[in-house]
Order: sequence, then structure tokens, then C-alpha cells
Amino acid sequence: MKQMLTGNTAAAWGARLADVDYIPAFPITPQTEIIETLAQWAAAGEIPARFVTLDSEHSMLTAGGAAAAAGARVFTATSSQGLLYGFELLYTVAGWRVPFVLVNVSRGLASPITLEPDHNDVLAARDSGCLQIHAETCQEVFDSILMAYRIAEDPRVLLPVIVNLDGFSLSFTREPVELPAVAAASIYLGEYAPGHAWIRGERPMAQGVAVLGGAVYSYFRYQMQLAAENALTVHEEAAAAFETMFGRRYGLVDGYRLDDAELVLVMSNSFATKGRAAVDLARSEGVRLGLLRLRLLRPFPREAIRRALAGRRAVAVIDQNLSIGLGGITVGEVAHALYAERDRPPLLSYVGGLGGKEISDQEFRRIVSDLMLAAATGETPPPRLLFTAAEARQMQTLLSIAGKEGAG
Amino acid sequence: MIRVRFHGRGGQGMKTASRIVGTAALLDGFIAQDSPVYGAERRGAPMVASVRIAEAPIFERGVIPAPDLVVVADDTLLDDPAVQPLAGLPPTGGLLMATAHSEEEARRHTGHPGALVARDFLTLALEQVGSAAGVSAALASAACAMLGLSGPAVVAAIGTELEAIGLSPDSIRANLRLAESARAGIQRVELPVRSLAAPRAGSPVVDVAYAPPEVGTPSVTARPNTPLRRTGNWRVFRPVIDPAKCTQCWVCFVRCPEGAIELDAEENPHLDYEVCKGCLICVEECPTGAIAKVREMREWAPSEVTR
Amino acid sequence: MSRELAAYRNLKDISREEFILPGTSVCGGCGGMEALRLAAKVLGDRVVYVNAAGCFTLLAVFPYTPFRGSWLYTTMGSAPAGAQGVRDALDVLIARGKVRPEDDVQVVVVAGDGATYDMALSSTSGAIWRNLDFWYFCYDNESYGNTGAQASSATPYGARTPTTLGAERRKDLFEIWRAHRPAYLATVSPRYPVDLSRKFEKAKRFKGPKLFLAAAPCPTGWEFDPAKTLDYGRLQVETGLFPLKEAVGDGPVVHTYAPAKRRPVEEYLRGQGRFRHLFEPVKQAALIARIQEDVDRYWARVEA
Ligand SMILES: Cc1ncc(C[n+]2csc(CCOP(=O)(O)OP(=O)(O)O)c2C)c(N)n1
Ligand code: SF4
Ligand code: SF4
Ligand code: SF4
Ligand SMILES: [Mg+2]
Repeated sequence: MKQMLTGNTAAAWGARLADVDYIPAFPITPQTEIIETLAQWAAAGEIPARFVTLDSEHSMLTAGGAAAAAGARVFTATSSQGLLYGFELLYTVAGWRVPFVLVNVSRGLASPITLEPDHNDVLAARDSGCLQIHAETCQEVFDSILMAYRIAEDPRVLLPVIVNLDGFSLSFTREPVELPAVAAASIYLGEYAPGHAWIRGERPMAQGVAVLGGAVYSYFRYQMQLAAENALTVHEEAAAAFETMFGRRYGLVDGYRLDDAELVLVMSNSFATKGRAAVDLARSEGVRLGLLRLRLLRPFPREAIRRALAGRRAVAVIDQNLSIGLGGITVGEVAHALYAERDRPPLLSYVGGLGGKEISDQEFRRIVSDLMLAAATGETPPPRLLFTAAEARQMQTLLSIAGKEGAG
Repeated sequence: MIRVRFHGRGGQGMKTASRIVGTAALLDGFIAQDSPVYGAERRGAPMVASVRIAEAPIFERGVIPAPDLVVVADDTLLDDPAVQPLAGLPPTGGLLMATAHSEEEARRHTGHPGALVARDFLTLALEQVGSAAGVSAALASAACAMLGLSGPAVVAAIGTELEAIGLSPDSIRANLRLAESARAGIQRVELPVRSLAAPRAGSPVVDVAYAPPEVGTPSVTARPNTPLRRTGNWRVFRPVIDPAKCTQCWVCFVRCPEGAIELDAEENPHLDYEVCKGCLICVEECPTGAIAKVREMREWAPSEVTR
Repeated sequence: MSRELAAYRNLKDISREEFILPGTSVCGGCGGMEALRLAAKVLGDRVVYVNAAGCFTLLAVFPYTPFRGSWLYTTMGSAPAGAQGVRDALDVLIARGKVRPEDDVQVVVVAGDGATYDMALSSTSGAIWRNLDFWYFCYDNESYGNTGAQASSATPYGARTPTTLGAERRKDLFEIWRAHRPAYLATVSPRYPVDLSRKFEKAKRFKGPKLFLAAAPCPTGWEFDPAKTLDYGRLQVETGLFPLKEAVGDGPVVHTYAPAKRRPVEEYLRGQGRFRHLFEPVKQAALIARIQEDVDRYWARVEA
């Protein structure tokens, strides 16, 4: 039976049905509902997990990684500033090769400090060794957490997984979510019984040891790369088993009306939902537009993306992030996937939805008309920020209220 | 798809009301999506919640710009330029509001030609559950009636959502009775069902140019300007000073956290209603009882129309 | 009594000037805001508030500022280090003749208890240890208020929060600070504006760390009617739960106000949502007694 759940509550249910042992926490908007829900379940004895609030995210991720190194199944959650505060640990614990699931509720990064979503926070972690799954719906949040444990704990992988959901547009939004029975979830996941990392009196082992010398370092770091690459296969297996048990199937990437699409939008996370509406609107006007949604960001499913985009007439990537001095982040990665393709389409780059800014019909229309032009001419327009005249006017008003000379 | 937008103040229960409608729609077999939006503000500040109800997957997110039904928890929000609850509501849409004004007055004041239900849900709530919080279930129930959601779904939804916010079984039962009377006599409204949001004549995409750093950096060089935010619209009750009882003791001036009270040359306190948030500390602290607590209620001049 | 202390004898000595203007987005009836407003009246406009993430971060949201002085938001964990940078910069620039001495400002950290007791503790410890010439204003609403009043290590024993049942006793920040021997430290309450003003005035004569722990009754997080904020502020002090005191350097702790007859803690606990479970569905007499014992033990030591 479906029930209305926020993305945050769906995430808490993910931890609950994954039967985790340990939940180190630290509050941050818009993640708090996740940890509050888990704290209440733990206090009421509804879940056997131990819940503890740490003094920072740095401590939280250390405690989480250490508990995983001691053999516990760990869940934790954070967002934006918190993810950055714990940043050192993302690299550290991934290097320990301990699996756990970290939910990140996306929120734009300071400065200026803000609350609403974009993906600079989670994408900052893309080189850390933590795998990343980005969810579009509340159902996918829940499903991805279960899948994430299965992938993370696979002996071919053993890396932490970050499951990303957007603040506000998923975290506080309720949608119908179907939760599986406890028994089914536990069959899907099995026990976490690590063969490589433990802390036991009977069987001592030294973890987190230092290395000196580039060769030793390279060897271990590259093991992480290979483990991440393995996760492509493991994800497919986990998705197939998930479909068998629960009837929903997730690919490495997700497509909407892609089959006969000539023009393609590439998006990720909850704003991809708006992309679907844009596709429907364009189709109703006779434009063969489709949507490719990036779901697994690490490992980067280069081959799946190449297959999805090769032979299209033009492709536009909307990055809800901004690498200052470069532009959109994922467009470069998509280009990388397409570079070897002889039949590669013009690749247009947009940065939009920063700090949760709306992407309006009109902005999608602009992209579609750029795509049609690029398809016709083969020429790629320069990257562009999605920003409207109305917003620019509003900005002028705000600037003058702020007393900024020269505004207006 | 049917789109419902709720307007209230933080603490008035409009998030719960929107969730009751969302859950009722799900129980009636629809796909639903509900989401509240608060600004940076806290308790007392205006907020919005959105509910979308459809038979096919919903490809929209965020605040609803063009609702089919608007629910207003408090008629003082109607004329607030920062809230504009009627924005985007087509003449064919529905309007539901809690107000002590009559339905005719509400129609005249809003100028809304379509379906309109305007009742004193607050008094009803105070009578039946003894708390202003009842407005939440009352408005949700009335909204469900206007939407044509089934009685059993509404009852189940109220039960689920009020339990989720920790109400006792007794209080849930009282709210269910309230919900029953709140929807009495309300007819289902035929709302035009639109699948795609009517593409709005939006604003074109423009270039953003480099601005000199005095402009293009996130700082405020204006002298203190928060009074422009007019937090007076947070008030549900207003403090009113009776000069006859005032002894010029300074207590209200010193104790107002906002600094919304000024003393004149004779040390008489004056309240700035543009910014007073209505916390009522001054009422509580005044040693002579010179400050009264008065319900905010705007008189509607016959000539005054919201839009 | 020194001249400046004589300036604050009763309410009518409080400055009529406002240095933080209304219209901000903090909750109506915020006790911490009242404490900050009163402090600002003494500090004036030659200040920069260096802020850590918390409720008060939303005082200055573009394009608005309520401050007649300056403001710099840093992060949750590092406001004292921000204060260090500002102080050092002004000192060196003044010494090198690049900034006029008249343009100098007092540097004031504004941080909540969560930042202060938890994430920024090492940053604070470092700044005090370096004898930084700054002010620290910690508004203690006994929780992570901005994120929804989850427990911090300042949350009192017995208070239920969205993340805890209230089993821990709060850290004694005053003593943690005092162990660093700062130039001046004090506790203040917004309900005792004269005491508060005198302490800020007195602290002006010290160079070095001037640390203030301000009681901040919080209607939203503690769940009570905002009109009652200062009633709870009064009870917090009159029950002896929040002692008003000060210390200079490594001198003794002086209690600036000792309630003649302390009210039972129950009067304070009752009516706050965060303590409701102590009274409903059945009264938790043992827990309440334990809270009372803690207070009694404290004052027995003070009075000894
Ligand atoms: C590194 C980091 N983690 C978490 C947060 C989220 N956060 C913002 S304010 C806040 C609460 C701070 O509590 P406190 O210092 O007591 O101030 P209050 O909110 O009570 O005013 C938290 C946890 C953050 N901004 N930065
Ligand atoms: S507290 Fe009451 S008596 Fe005192 S100045 Fe204010 S209104 Fe007058
Ligand atoms: S109600 Fe009174 S104390 Fe509260 S903001 Fe208004 S004037 Fe100030
Ligand atoms: S939550 Fe509490 S401390 Fe924060 S602004 Fe509101 S009343 Fe003040
Ligand atoms: Mg706090």
C-alpha cells in the first residue's frame, strides 16, 4: 500500500528497513526530519539501532566510518555546509574501504549562505571515493537506499554510497511511496558480514595505516577506482534483484520519451521532473524532445550515457551546479563520455536552478529553440546561465534596497 | 490535474491541512503531491503550501503559480502585497477562506466571480475543539468537499495526519466532528481539469553581465532597512495601549524584543504596527494593564477590492 | 561604584536609541533577540558582529540588514577565528597607518549555544588562549534552534527534544570559559536589563576576551506562548537555574543577583512543551526532584 511520505521520511524508512546498527547524526536544514524520525524510532524501541548526536559532521562521519570499520551497518545524513564540514572524512573513510550509506539533502553552498537546493554540495564529493546515486522522487530515495547498501557491501565494491535528494523539492515534499515488508527488505539485503574490516579482541588488525612511497599509495588508491568500476556491474545486479522482488527497475541512467528523440535534455535529481513536463510540452508542439536523467554519478556510467546520446541531433545538459571558473560540472563528464563517439551531437551547456531557482517554461523553451538551431547548423552556442528578464528586474530592485550604488 | 494552494501563517496548521487533502486524494485513488514552503521566517510569518492531485504522474514541483483552488486561513492575508493569495487564480477557479465577514462581503471584497466559500471557521473551531488549531481540519474538510473527495477518505486522512502531529484520540475525534460540520452544505465545484500547466507567457532568458564589485557581491551597504519588511503582517493579535492607564514606566519599551516601541518626549510609548510581530510580551509585562490584546481584523471598506 | 556602573540603576537608564532595528525574521517574542538588543544598546554602532550559523544568521538576509554597525557571517564552527582575523587586521592596519584609529570597531562574536558549546569550542578556546581582544555573545536557547530545537550540549537535563529524551546534563560553559582565565566573563538574562547593561558597560574597561553567556528563552523551541518569554526568563533566574554572575580574570566568581528565596524549579518547568512529559501523563516526581537537587547543590556551594 502506498502512503504519502516526504523525501526525508522516505530516507528514514530506508535506514529502518535496511535494519542499520548505528546512526551518528548532526542536524542541518533541510535534513533534520530524517534524523529526528530515526531518533524517535530509536527512543521508542521501534528500531534496534543506536542513535547518537555528535558535535559536528566531522565527528559524525568519523564515528560512522569507525563504526563501519568495527563491522556495524551505518546510516547517516547531512547537507551542504555539513557535508563540507565533514569533507576530510569522506576521503578518509572511503579509503578505509568501509561501506555505509550517507544521505545528502542537497542545498546550495555558502557564500552567500542559502537553504534551497543545488548540487554543488554533493558534487564537491565526487572525487572522494564515495559512490553517488541521485534520486528524482521520494520513492526513488527509499529504493536507492536499499540498493545502496547492497552495492556498498558487495565485496567487489566496499565503498560508502551517498544517496542524494534535493532539499525542499523532495525533502519536504510528500509523494506516494510504497514500502516493502520488513522481511522482503531483509532478504534483499542480507547481513553485513565483512571479510576485510573488523575490530575484535580475538582477531586484531591495524586499520587506517599510513603508507609512505607513491607506489604503495597508487596501488591502494587504484584499488578504489577498480572497486568503483565494479559498482557498475553490481548496480545492474542489484537493480535486477530489486525489480524481481519489488517490481521497480532502476537503470544506471533513466530516460523519458527518449526512444525516438532527436533532441535531448540531460538533467538530474528532482528538477528532472520539470524536464519531463518540458518534454511533454515540446512533444505536444511536434518537437521530438527526450530527457536523459543522470542517476548514478559515481561510478560515472560513461558507456550507458554514450549509448543514450550517440546519434541524437543535439543534446543540452542543464547543470544545477557551478564549478566556478569552469561552468557546469556534469556537461564536461558527459562530453567525456561522448568524445570517442564519431556520431556525436552538438553538446549545449546550461547552468540553471542554482539555489533552487525555478526553471520556467520559458527557460525550457529557450533551450529547445537553441537545440533546434544547433541541430540545424551543427553549431554549439556558448554556455549560458538560465536567468530571466523578470529575475534581472527583481534583482535590480533588491540591489537598490541593499543600497548598492550603481544598481539600476 | 487539480492544483490547490494554501495560504496561512506559520503555526496556523496549513501544512497539516494541505497534507489532509493530499492523503485524502491518495486514498481516493489519485496520485498526489503536497509541499509546504516557509521562507526564512519563523512562527507567525506567512507561508504557502501546495497540493497537486492527478490521475497520471505529476511532472511539476514547487509552489503552484496558477491554482484551481485557493485556501486562505486568515482573511488578513488577502490584502497583504507580500502574500497575494489570489495571484494566478482564474475566474473559473475556487476560493475557500476563513473569515468573520459574510460570504457576500467576501465576494465583493475579493471580486472573485467563481466558486466561493467564506465562513467563520475560526469561531467554529474555537467552539468545537476549543482551539484555533482546529481551523486546519475544518478548512481541509471544506476543501475536500469542494474538490469532491469522498467522505471516508477525508475522515481517514484527518485521522492519519492529526495522529502524525501527535494529537490524542479524543482530540482527533473532536476534530472529526468539527470537520463534519465544516463541510456541511458545501457542494463539489466543477474545476476545469488541466493536464499541463497552461504555458505562461514567461519572461525571456537574458544575459547576466559582470557587475562592479560594489554591486555584484552579497553585501548590504544601505543603512539598517529591515523595517521595510513590515513584519506587522505576522500579527494575529495586536497590542493596543490605553494612554489613560499608562504611567510612562518604560517597561514595554525596554522589554519589546523587536524594538517596536518608541518613547516620545513625554515618555509615552508608541507602537509601530508596521513592524510589531504581535508577540504580546508588552501586554504580558505592562504593570498597569494598559496594553490590551485585540484580534486583528481588517474592516473592509465597500470600495476596497483585493484585485 | 565607578561612574559607568552608576549609569545603570534602573530601567530608565537604558538607552532610548536602537542599534538593531525591527523587521527581522527571528520569531516574535525571541528572548535571545531581546538580550542582543539590550547588549547592542551598550555596545553602540562601532561594532562588527561576527556570526556563527544559527537563528541570528537570518537577521541579515539580502537585501536587508537591521544593524547600525557591521556584520560578518562566517560558519557554524569558526566565528571566533573570524573575530581573530578582523581584530588582527584592524590592529595591523591601524599600526601601519592604513586605517584611522577612529575607524576601529569592537569585534563581537554572536553565536548560539550549539556553535559555542559544540562545534566552535576549539576555535573559542584558541581565541581566548591567544588573549584576543574581543567580545563573545552566546545566546543560549539550549538547543540547535535554527534547525528545529534539536539537543545541543547546552540542553538541560530532563528536556525532551526532537532528537533526545533529555538524559544528559548540560555542559557548564561558564566554568569551561573561566578555566581559560579570560579578561571578563558573565552570565546575563534579557529579563534583567539593568544587570545586563551594567555588565556590558563594565566589560568595556577590559582588553582581552569579554565573554557573555545570555539566557535566551525560546518560545518556538521550548514550546510556550511567546508572550511569556520574559516570564520564563524571570523564572529561569528566580529558580536559581540560571545564576547571574561574573568573574574578572582569575578572580572569584561573583553572583550579581541571588534570588532572596528561590522558586521551586517546577514553576519554571511547567508549561514548557519540552518538559511536558515531566507532568503528563503522570508526574515524574523523581526527575523533577533531581533537577531541583542540582540547583540546590549549586547554591549550597555558592552560599558556603
Ligand atoms: C557545519 C554545519 N553544520 C550544520 C549546520 C546547520 N545549522 C545551522 S544553524 C544550526 C544550529 C545552531 O545552533 P545554535 O548555535 O545553538 O544556534 P541557534 O540555532 O540555536 O540560534 C545548525 C546545526 C551548519 N550551518 N553548518
Ligand atoms: S508598560 Fe504599560 S504603563 Fe509602562 S509605559 Fe508601557 S504602556 Fe505605559
Ligand atoms: S507585541 Fe509588543 S512586545 Fe511584541 S513586538 Fe509588538 S510591541 Fe513588541
Ligand atoms: S527559534 Fe528561538 S532563539 Fe531562534 S529565533 Fe525563534 S525564538 Fe529566537
Ligand atoms: Mg541554540
